[in-house]
Amino acid sequence: MGYITEGFIQAFDLLASFDDETYSAIFTTIRVSSMSMVASLVIGIPVGFGLGYYSFPARRHLRVLVDSLLALPTVVVGLIVYTFISNRGPLGGFQLLYTQPGIAIAQTILVLPIVISLTATAVESLDRRLRPTLYALGARGVQMAVASIMEARYAVLIAAITAYGRAISEVGVSMIIGGNIKWHTRTITTAIALETGKGEFGMAIALGIVLILLAFIVNGSLTVLRKRS
Amino acid sequence: MSTSMSLYHIKDLKYRYGERFEMHIPELSIPAGAAVGLIGPNGGGKTTLLRILAFIERPHEGTIFFDGKRVRGEDTYLTRSVSMLLQEPYLLKRSVFENVAYGLRARGEKRDLGEKVNDALAMVGLEYEDFARRSWYELSGGEAQRIALAARLILKPRVLILDEPTASVDEKSALLIKEAVVESRKRDGTTLIIASHDHFWLNSITSDIRRVYRGRVLGSAARNVIAGPWGSIDDGLCRTTLPDGQCIIASCPAMPGMHGMVDPADIVLSLHKPGTMSAQNMLHAAIVSLEMNGDTGIMNVSLDVGGFRILARVTRHTAREMNLLPGEKVWAVFKASSIQWE
Repeated sequence: MGYITEGFIQAFDLLASFDDETYSAIFTTIRVSSMSMVASLVIGIPVGFGLGYYSFPARRHLRVLVDSLLALPTVVVGLIVYTFISNRGPLGGFQLLYTQPGIAIAQTILVLPIVISLTATAVESLDRRLRPTLYALGARGVQMAVASIMEARYAVLIAAITAYGRAISEVGVSMIIGGNIKWHTRTITTAIALETGKGEFGMAIALGIVLILLAFIVNGSLTVLRKRS
Repeated sequence: MSTSMSLYHIKDLKYRYGERFEMHIPELSIPAGAAVGLIGPNGGGKTTLLRILAFIERPHEGTIFFDGKRVRGEDTYLTRSVSMLLQEPYLLKRSVFENVAYGLRARGEKRDLGEKVNDALAMVGLEYEDFARRSWYELSGGEAQRIALAARLILKPRVLILDEPTASVDEKSALLIKEAVVESRKRDGTTLIIASHDHFWLNSITSDIRRVYRGRVLGSAARNVIAGPWGSIDDGLCRTTLPDGQCIIASCPAMPGMHGMVDPADIVLSLHKPGTMSAQNMLHAAIVSLEMNGDTGIMNVSLDVGGFRILARVTRHTAREMNLLPGEKVWAVFKASSIQWE
């Protein structure tokens, strides 16, 4: 029990003293997951809206495909992206392996199905009276689409926060694509894995506390938004 | 009414819900500036007809002329001339101000928005200061309905279509809604098309009430529909029996399946059972309610004949002379030949 207590004391000490190595992992995590969030929202919201709003022949099949990708294992995404961006891969020339943008790309692929699927569900769940109401008020074409996504805004935010939760807590992609390089691509999750392996519980617990805090913030936001929507 | 004089002119319109329901309107005209009421049972096609007139639904067959132009596909100019208030209005998840101003913004009209929203809210009896900043979820059912109406009135549409606007609101809201639409018609010449189960509320706004029944628009007056079943008796006459056992006799229709119609003005009321006379139909009835028919000097008298509702019309003078009051028993008399078939 003693080493656990010691670990907690050391963890609070690292956090309180703004330990460079600890905070490097925290900021790397926030930076990488924010990049992946921006990319996945820019791509995912329009695609999810189209999937939920319009009727077209392959819609159901696409929906099944996107929903299936929700369960994509992080290590598989890491493996696929690795094969593409490694020096021997078709995108090797971009030198993305072991870089933060490389991790962000892989995380984008990981969370994109979440954004698309939850946005599509949000749009599909809009009140059936919305379209005739907008029509009766004179909205047409793009105005109808914009007003519809605005009506679904809380549910779309829920999609974004759910995706963010997935991005900050994943370990497989960051490990395979980032390589867990200190001061550079080491994220909270990869640092915890490494430090635990080394028996250095202080930093692992400190980062674990930060990760749990982030998870609380994410879930708290979700609860508030679910109430509003 | 000729096409050139009508705001709406419908020809041979058909709309189908699978195999179950078909609306068929061979011809229907609605003049500009009219106030038309639609009555009829649930599932009869009132809402479908309103949605077609609001260009929200397209008919499967037939043609619609609006303001003399044939409506083809989506014509923003034509369709923005019409605004419909749904039976269960939907408010956007925004403030009251944004809800009322939405239609003007969609049209690119952004000048004097505050003033226009203020006027629209005042028309439906709501204070700008109290309501403009409220969110959509901070409203009662009646307030939400009135705000939805204000969102249409601000557009000053040529046609305002209301589907059961008083179905789920309190008495005060029903009165304010009536005043707002009457004012809109008076001020802007808005054509009103209103479906309602509240016959007396409807009668106080519209003078032209049409019955929508099983996908057909029957007649251009608030006539009593006697659906039958009709059975043949002697001398080319037919008879139907009401729930309380009383019978109505009519000359037989040209084709089976037609509906008998009696104009309320053809029904004579008597406080005592009349003696032998030429009219074959004498029904013992109870007065349910009396209501002025707009400002025509005519009163609508709703009668209950063993659970079957019949509308009669008398002058205000006659109603006063006979001392007609709800609950009084009267005899409703009409000739077999006054029953028309459609």
